[in-house]
Amino acid sequence: MLIGPRIQSTSYLIKQLPTLTVFIDREFKIMHASDKWLYTFGERSNTIFGQCLFKVFPELSIKWKSVLNECFEGKSNPMGVQIYEQNEQKKWYEWSNTCWFDENENIIGAIIQINDVTEALKNELELEKTKVQLKQQSEISKTGRWEYDIINDEITWCDITRSIHEVSQDYVPRLDTGIQFYKEGYSRNAISMAIFEAQEKGKPWSIKLQIITATGKEKWVLAAGKPLYEKRELVGFTGTFQDINEQVVANIETKKNEKLLRTLVDNLPLNVYVKDINSKKILVNKAECEHLGVKNEDELLGKDNFDIYDYETAKRFTEQDIKVMTSLVPILGEEVISTDKKGRQTTYLTSKIPLLDGQGSSTGLIGISLDITNIKQKEKELRNLIDVTSLQNKKLINFAHIVSHNLRSHTANFSMLLNFLQHEEDEEEKETILNMLNSASNNLLDTIENLNEVLAINTNINLKKKDVNLFDSILTVESNLKDFITENKGEIVNKIPQKQSLKVIPQYLESILINFITNGIKYKHPDRNPVLSLKLSSNEDYKILTVTDNGLGIDLNKYGNKLFGMYKTFHSHENARGIGLYVTKNQVEAMGGKIEVESEVGAGTTFKIFFNEKN
Amino acid sequence: MKKIKFIGIVDDDPITVFGIRKMLNTVVDCEIVEAYQNGKVAFEALHKKFSENEDIPEVIFLDINMPIMDGWQFLDEFLKLPINKRIRINIVTSSIDPFDKKKWEYYKENTHHLITFNNKPINKQDIEEITQVA
Repeated sequence: MLIGPRIQSTSYLIKQLPTLTVFIDREFKIMHASDKWLYTFGERSNTIFGQCLFKVFPELSIKWKSVLNECFEGKSNPMGVQIYEQNEQKKWYEWSNTCWFDENENIIGAIIQINDVTEALKNELELEKTKVQLKQQSEISKTGRWEYDIINDEITWCDITRSIHEVSQDYVPRLDTGIQFYKEGYSRNAISMAIFEAQEKGKPWSIKLQIITATGKEKWVLAAGKPLYEKRELVGFTGTFQDINEQVVANIETKKNEKLLRTLVDNLPLNVYVKDINSKKILVNKAECEHLGVKNEDELLGKDNFDIYDYETAKRFTEQDIKVMTSLVPILGEEVISTDKKGRQTTYLTSKIPLLDGQGSSTGLIGISLDITNIKQKEKELRNLIDVTSLQNKKLINFAHIVSHNLRSHTANFSMLLNFLQHEEDEEEKETILNMLNSASNNLLDTIENLNEVLAINTNINLKKKDVNLFDSILTVESNLKDFITENKGEIVNKIPQKQSLKVIPQYLESILINFITNGIKYKHPDRNPVLSLKLSSNEDYKILTVTDNGLGIDLNKYGNKLFGMYKTFHSHENARGIGLYVTKNQVEAMGGKIEVESEVGAGTTFKIFFNEKN
Repeated sequence: MKKIKFIGIVDDDPITVFGIRKMLNTVVDCEIVEAYQNGKVAFEALHKKFSENEDIPEVIFLDINMPIMDGWQFLDEFLKLPINKRIRINIVTSSIDPFDKKKWEYYKENTHHLITFNNKPINKQDIEEITQVA
């Protein structure tokens, strides 16, 4: 064969080609192959020469036959990429062909070159992926890009940058129009300064600014950029452009809400605090600070009840805190009394509401309390006033009954006696009836006088309280009653401090002392000499004069409610008129005081006279 | 004229006692009229009579407002005495306090004795009417 040796020598050259190369004749038979090609496609090596390419690579596309046929006609075309699996590794090969000429420029076949494009493909894929990710990322974060080329004075905006500016996609920005988008004033000045500084000093920038979009909307953006250099020459800038309007607006909104809440909490006329799970305060409002007498909230933050209140109060409050936080049941509007470290008492209307986390367990509590000490005080005063008025009312009704009863009994007598007189013929009997009438008339006068005395006590508001020395007053009364006391072998034990003064209406005090002293002696026990002791004590509201006798005593179960009534007498005593204690009681009450009594029949009686020194 | 053996008057006011006595003289023939100056004196006297099996009054005139032991306290004690005979007790008072009337109703319901309530002034006709053996 003529061809044979020529093939052989050419074959050796081809063998050494550094690329994967194969020569096929017009019948697709493999004629030559580079060692690299043989090596790459492995064991097919020895036997493949002379075999049809499509038999050796059955996976090759049939289309390639026509491509190769065209090549045989002198028209080489690209073939494409083919996967080849080797050692469980996928490899991508790009096949290309060119015409194979003999010395006479006759096409005798095709030269096929194969390139391993696996890496390139991978890179391309990677790049594609990165591009997609970047695009998504910038879309999600609303971050656009821009570039400025100084030499050509050209600005490029990416799609996102354009959409942030709300301009159409064919909008062509310029440096000056770009800057015009920034809001006049701070934003525009700031960006101009930033560009200037970048130009002069190479400083990058990243600042939050406001722009006015093409449609006139105000937007917050994060504008960032840095200068670009080429051979130390400034050639432009590049940077990002992020729409941060939502975050900034949300942030501003949050800050506004926070401020609103704080203003509200601080200006509530209530003490508001938040406590953590350990009962330590983590938020206090102004009212709470003022109430607890501190200037700065830092003095209260981190403090618990034991730092603020006395031990008992703190214990009570802490137990309450724990109860609210464990039961998750709020306490609403409960009245509590606290004592601080200085011993000051305060009454609060307090509410404690548990603070819950996402899982519904408590992380602390919110406390709201109102200092109602003053209101309580007012309420107490009001209640006292009501007590006084209802007492007055009762007294008035009682007095009306007394008046009506006493006058009625006299008038009944008058009417009866006058009726007798009318029909009486016996002169002596007439005389008797007239005497009776006379006595009835005297009784009526007495009664009216007594009633007047009582009325005077209750209506005389002109009498003023004065400071009176109690010890001396007792001495005076004692000396006035000297004969009476001596006659009864009585003894007065004056245990009042000598300089003790009492704010009273002097006439009333005298009358009161006379009454108790005469009573104590008048109702003496038959088996012993009367001894009367007087002493003084005091409590929050009153000075208390205690008069103790060793006399007959009174059965208070029987007579207690009548003891101070008018015309009530309890002992068969000729001088018992039943007016003394009634008047005394009225005098004491007229001075804002009261009388209490304790007694044991046969042992004696103790009267406690409460003097109210207020006006 | 009807006859009553024993009448009691419990009143601290001598004028009333005088008046009742005087009117009784004209309407009834009575052997004994005894007056007591308050509830305590009356109760003690009557208690003594009763325990010594002596006569006790068939009719009692009783005042309410009296010292030491008033009319109600007298009734409290007197009604406790185991007296089988029905006695007429005429309350005679100047009180127009509705509370006293309520009290009377209570006592009236809780005893076998006859208790009446009469306001002062009291005249001859009234006395005649209420002075009879129960």
